[in-house]
Amino acid sequence: MSGAQNHARKSWVLLHVGNRRFALPAESVMELAPPVRLHNFPHTSRLIAGVIVRRGRIVPVYDVAPVLCGRESSVHRFYLIADRAFGTDAGPDATEASAIPVNGECELATGEMQPPQENAPPYFAGTLAIEAENIDVLDLQKLVSAVRDNPSATNHAEPRP
Amino acid sequence: MKIAMQDTAKSRRSRSTEALILFCIGTQTFAIAADAVQEIRSTDSLATAAVEMELAEVPKVRHLVERSHRTYYVVSGCVHFGLRVTRPTLVLILRQIRTAVLVDSIERMVDVPKVHALPQAFQGEERQWYRGLTYLEDRVIPVIQPNGFLTPEEFARLDRASKSIEARHELEGAVPA
Repeated sequence: MSGAQNHARKSWVLLHVGNRRFALPAESVMELAPPVRLHNFPHTSRLIAGVIVRRGRIVPVYDVAPVLCGRESSVHRFYLIADRAFGTDAGPDATEASAIPVNGECELATGEMQPPQENAPPYFAGTLAIEAENIDVLDLQKLVSAVRDNPSATNHAEPRP
Repeated sequence: MKIAMQDTAKSRRSRSTEALILFCIGTQTFAIAADAVQEIRSTDSLATAAVEMELAEVPKVRHLVERSHRTYYVVSGCVHFGLRVTRPTLVLILRQIRTAVLVDSIERMVDVPKVHALPQAFQGEERQWYRGLTYLEDRVIPVIQPNGFLTPEEFARLDRASKSIEARHELEGAVPA
């Protein structure tokens, strides 16, 4: 197996958002946090539902369900905490822990990422074929940027108290 | 009501902590550095000194007050933070910045060991509003950036409006009754 193939066949964390499964690179995932208090305060950043506190750190929570599934979901009580890169296309300047509400059913899988489907949104980095299912691999950085650059992608335009 | 900020209190505190004033606007609690607040007055006590002003470009300011020969612009905390409008009872008059802020109540003063940086995920106006977040008794409370209430452009607009109000008052005063 070549170096490139070795890189492509790696571990992924599969998570449920709404009634769909998505994948994140396992190396970017820090932990699956139990249901903890979601804190909120006024802000105007789209997609941010609030913050949680984990291990002494304040972690922003991205409510990605409306973007990925078209609606809010009430079953998301756990938080998958992953690193999100900040910076430009030339390369990330820094990373920050970020949380995604999930339903708690997460699993580890190994697979080779295939290119994204035609006309897939830019925040899908590729697909994984697992258990006869094509699972979209999320690019958290692009997902958030897409919403910021295209407000119609979500309804969170008002300050969120 | 007048609560004077005691400079001596600062010296009593450990250098590793920071004194914050917790205040409420609606149901939301905010924090501001105690050092950033000159005084806290009731709205009633300032009512006679307040001059009405209305500027479409800066709708969060509807009054100005003169304090110690300086003009302070009174910012509605509700409008600034996009919260449901309430009936504020207190005014925080800031130190070194010509801003006063309408708030609903003062919760208390606290010493906190750390103000966390605002996560990079927050990219909206809140980056001007807050200098960070503090975690206190299972609550995450935004810590206000005192100079984030009004931009230099807003100050310039308000100063122009204030001068025209002053000129109008002088003119009215000069006209015999």
